[in-house]
Amino acid sequence: MRFKELRDSTQLKKIYDLRLEIIRQMRMWFYDCDFVEVDTPSAVISPDIEPHLNPVPVEFYNEHGEKNNFYLHTSPEYAMKKLLGAGYEKIFQICHCFRNVEESGNTHNPEFTMIEWYRAPGNYFEIMDDLENLFKAIGKKINVSKLQHHDIAVELNTTWERIKIKDLWQKYLGVNLDDYLTTKKMGELAAAHDLQVAPSDDFTDLFYKIFLNEIEPKLGQTVPTIIYEYPAQMAALARLCSDDNRYAERFELYAAGLEVANCFGELTDTKEQLTRFENERAQREKMDKVVLPIDKELVSALEYVPSAAGIALGVDRMVMLLTGARNINEVIFNTVADQLEK
Amino acid sequence: MNKYIYSFLSLISNMASTNEIRKGVVIRQSGDLFVVVEFQHINPGKGAAFVRTRMKNLSNGKVVENTYKTSESVEIVDVNFQTMQFLYKTGDNFAFMNMQNYEQIEMNGDLVGGEGKYLKEGVECVIGLYEEQPVSIQLPKKIKYKVVEAPPAVKGDSASGNVTKEIKLDNGLIAYAPIFIKEGEEILINTETGEYSARA
Repeated sequence: MRFKELRDSTQLKKIYDLRLEIIRQMRMWFYDCDFVEVDTPSAVISPDIEPHLNPVPVEFYNEHGEKNNFYLHTSPEYAMKKLLGAGYEKIFQICHCFRNVEESGNTHNPEFTMIEWYRAPGNYFEIMDDLENLFKAIGKKINVSKLQHHDIAVELNTTWERIKIKDLWQKYLGVNLDDYLTTKKMGELAAAHDLQVAPSDDFTDLFYKIFLNEIEPKLGQTVPTIIYEYPAQMAALARLCSDDNRYAERFELYAAGLEVANCFGELTDTKEQLTRFENERAQREKMDKVVLPIDKELVSALEYVPSAAGIALGVDRMVMLLTGARNINEVIFNTVADQLEK
Repeated sequence: MNKYIYSFLSLISNMASTNEIRKGVVIRQSGDLFVVVEFQHINPGKGAAFVRTRMKNLSNGKVVENTYKTSESVEIVDVNFQTMQFLYKTGDNFAFMNMQNYEQIEMNGDLVGGEGKYLKEGVECVIGLYEEQPVSIQLPKKIKYKVVEAPPAVKGDSASGNVTKEIKLDNGLIAYAPIFIKEGEEILINTETGEYSARA
């Protein structure tokens, strides 16, 4: 929203004031849990090279007029893991992240606020507890007991549902995900559900086509739901499950139909990390995207971290859920869309 | 390679990419025609791009929701978009006129939907026509109205926390505006949220 709208509308002011209070309470909660607040650069030479992300390029000129190409971070993940490598054990950061070529409006703004926190040592079940406790503690402080998105409201203070993705697929599709962990089999399943299958679709594309049409609309409708243990192909920076390496330690939170957080039991095996970076780089080339440098410093930092778990939570979306705001423009001051409006 | 196949195909048929989906676009799927009433981009996981659409079946009015990967192919049917002015409402029908050629059409209240309450004489809308029949309507984001009824602000209003009041607009629409708005003033209403936007 713009300053004039904020000035004239009690409704918008109420939402914005709640945003400010939520962030304040969030900080206090982490301080009370003995986390240290850290502060890492927004401009980095090696951004996250996940193939589907589009980092915003920036140009730095030094006093000789020499140019260096940097990027605004899409998430502070890499830098925070380096701090774990420096010896920090419980850290959090609330910062702006930037992503190009995504929507402006609804639930996206190219510049948005993320909170990330890490535990080293740690496992991702501890993070699930953190997430549930954080939401409930904040809800209590601001007197909110429901999470709302559009026409769906869910009770905040019940025990949240935690369900493995494999069990989710069994529940909603009646199939054993173990049997569909190849691109070919996933393609057959998509076709069986009347979904288009293109020759260029990889496993992740097909997984999401099915998931977004058949499962996601039903998630988090009655209770906030954490879905965990993703197929290994979708691990990103998560480590594989020690008891079943076809799956990875990754979870996401859905509430009132909205995806709000993404968490990993962190990959700390440096050899495996380097291999994943090389695969991501190759995929970016295949997709005709800007080839970005591999962050070797991150790989060396991981040498010092035996175990860790971390999470990225969208603060703007969290505020939307706690206030019932219908569009991200209501919870962010001067969004990109606001600034572009004549 | 794929992008060349898509451009070639769209020359000889109506196959297009889901990137071209907009509100009001008409898609043919499984033999039926659907008009897109809502669409949204979503980026699950770490950013893969999908488009979630809500579409209304033109023959039976049922609304379905489909999520496509961006650049998936869909058959977009040729819709003729025309700018037309709203004239009046008769019964359940809304009458519009194309001010260039003076052609008139009528749209049923069901097709216009809830946004019909924002219409007033002279408002220019973009109407989608398929084979001469109206299939969709897009209102301007903001419309100017004259305030015909507005209780005066009472001293102590802000102190007691009342910063908006109910007002009546020149087309009969009821809205909420800041207490300093007076009868006779012109204001803008945001047609997406129904909220007061600014003085005109």
